[in-house]
Amino acid sequence: MELLVANHSSYPRIGDGAGQQRLRRAYPQHERGEITAREFEAIQASVIQEIVQEQAGAGLDVVTDGQIRWYDPISHFAGRLAGVKINGLLRFFDTNFYIRQPVVVDRVTWKGPILVEEYRSAQAVSPKPVKVTLTGPYTLGRFSIIEGPRYHDLPELVADYTEAIMKEVEALAGAGATVIQIDEPSMLHHPGEAGLVKVALTRIGSRKGSARLLLATYFGDAAPLYEVLQGFPVDTLGFDFTYSHGLSDQIARLGSEKAIAFGLIDGRNTRMERTEEVLPRLGKALPKVKGSPSYLTSSCGLEYLPRDKAFLKLKQMAAVRAEFVGRG
Amino acid sequence: MSRAKLKSLGIDLPIFPTSTVGSFPKPDYLVEARAKFAKRKIERKELEDLERQATAFWIRTQEEIGLDVLVDGEMYRGDMVAYFSELMPGFEQSGLVRSYGNRYYHKPIIVGDVRWPGPMTVGWWRYAQGLTKRPVKGMLTGPYTVMDWSFNEHYPDRRSACLALAGEIRREVEALAEAGAKIIQIDEPALSVRPEELPFAIEAMHIVTDGLPAYFIIHACYGAFDKIYSQMLKLPVDNLDLAISHSTLNLMEMFRRDPFTKDLSVGVLDVHSHEVETPDTVRARVEKAQQLLPKELLWIDPDCGLKTRTIDEAKGKLINMIDAVRRLRAEARIN
Repeated sequence: MELLVANHSSYPRIGDGAGQQRLRRAYPQHERGEITAREFEAIQASVIQEIVQEQAGAGLDVVTDGQIRWYDPISHFAGRLAGVKINGLLRFFDTNFYIRQPVVVDRVTWKGPILVEEYRSAQAVSPKPVKVTLTGPYTLGRFSIIEGPRYHDLPELVADYTEAIMKEVEALAGAGATVIQIDEPSMLHHPGEAGLVKVALTRIGSRKGSARLLLATYFGDAAPLYEVLQGFPVDTLGFDFTYSHGLSDQIARLGSEKAIAFGLIDGRNTRMERTEEVLPRLGKALPKVKGSPSYLTSSCGLEYLPRDKAFLKLKQMAAVRAEFVGRG
Repeated sequence: MSRAKLKSLGIDLPIFPTSTVGSFPKPDYLVEARAKFAKRKIERKELEDLERQATAFWIRTQEEIGLDVLVDGEMYRGDMVAYFSELMPGFEQSGLVRSYGNRYYHKPIIVGDVRWPGPMTVGWWRYAQGLTKRPVKGMLTGPYTVMDWSFNEHYPDRRSACLALAGEIRREVEALAEAGAKIIQIDEPALSVRPEELPFAIEAMHIVTDGLPAYFIIHACYGAFDKIYSQMLKLPVDNLDLAISHSTLNLMEMFRRDPFTKDLSVGVLDVHSHEVETPDTVRARVEKAQQLLPKELLWIDPDCGLKTRTIDEAKGKLINMIDAVRRLRAEARIN
């Protein structure tokens, strides 16, 4: 029943503090040709090093690269596959954040590793294990526009996105990634299609080697799917407790064979959770969780917050865990 | 139904009344002045003089184009939520938050009881209305959108934040009505993002509008219209302003199942496109709406604010919209 503190996925890439806007300035400089691609990459790498150390300094056990190189959670991966071009902006769920929408014009095919170098470079500068995050095939499919005759329906497209992610996961595991997180927020909005996600994860899981696979769900209430999800072929189930208010009771009542990523810290609001708000929910559920390690994390990626608040949220997670362990 | 209400308020509009959603592009001199003001290189008075100059330009332009119900163009606003949150006690501004790409903004944080600070838009409405005999809409952002586009560190949940805002925003609406605004538009672009929250968004709109002597329009972006349509009919407003002209939904079937009970502002211009729609394109979009509702219930406008277009694009689009409407009116008189 080990409890680790983990960053969820994204992290604010700029801040209002001294020196924290260099990436914001670098984008237009790069576009105007005032800095080279190598100089731009060096700035991105320095920001990743800074935020990896920021996470470790906050007391986290598992960090991420903050998705600093990603334009958004959809187009970064989908746009690097054959058969996909990238279209205009689309609102990402009920956030004020916008993604670029993939348009599938031909058969979706993996051309080679997309995230492996990102993982390697982040791990090289991190004192803690780096979790790799990627958006799952069902959510990629849901956000894609199908153009042309290649695909007749969503399941066909999801199958080929799955094939691409299988290869990526195999490459990541080969590169040493120990925790790989697949984000499937769209599943909660279409619970009747959870079976599609299960099939996809079964295929992806066959390539994960010794890495642990974490399914992250958010931006919706996972409680109605909780028992179904227990049958999914993953090591860890991640939940957004800001939408699933009764989930702690449900876990306490039904238990869990899987480890749980407890998204108890709101990744979309600046209000700081008090330790005494979080502890009871954690305390009633975690003892009924058989899988290990579980994680204390945020409800979703932290890029919806300003940098200073995101950092405070990380520190609060570590403080909650320390209090939890201290109380035994 | 609502036309009688307009008449009772002393407003007589032609068939297919024309209007715009609110914002217009700022002239270059105002963009430069706002940047200088942000860097404290000019005084507020100098900025306000230029905001008034730009407002007068747009009032004159709307009259020349031939619009029926005018707007002040929002020359004094940056962002539709930040403008209000920067004036209202109870808010602070957050550090920078990413919206997309390399775009960041300061998101408001509710840190205490929100309070109406006194009129926030009334002075601008008075100024704009003083420049024209045509009706100018009072315009403000609704409580649900202000809540949804802010962090909330003070109220226990989203509903209570929304209802608290509604009580304060009502005071602005009262002040607008008292100043003489007969048509008031509440902007709620966030309304459709969480269909499960629509009941309290409607509750909030009751707080904002109930019992006040004005014709109310609510502007909502398209979103999950199919999921919330029947509930939207419960909004206590006279006119729903929706971007239905680009819809691929079977609106006919939806309207047959739940008959539409309000006036409908039909967004016939795509504000996100540089292309200036031809009068024939506008006409086709109006005719599509006429298949759904009697023409007496239809208002014609762009699908959102025009602030992201150039001045020439905005004028070109509106000129063609009015051209199409004039032809439709002529045909309606003959028939």
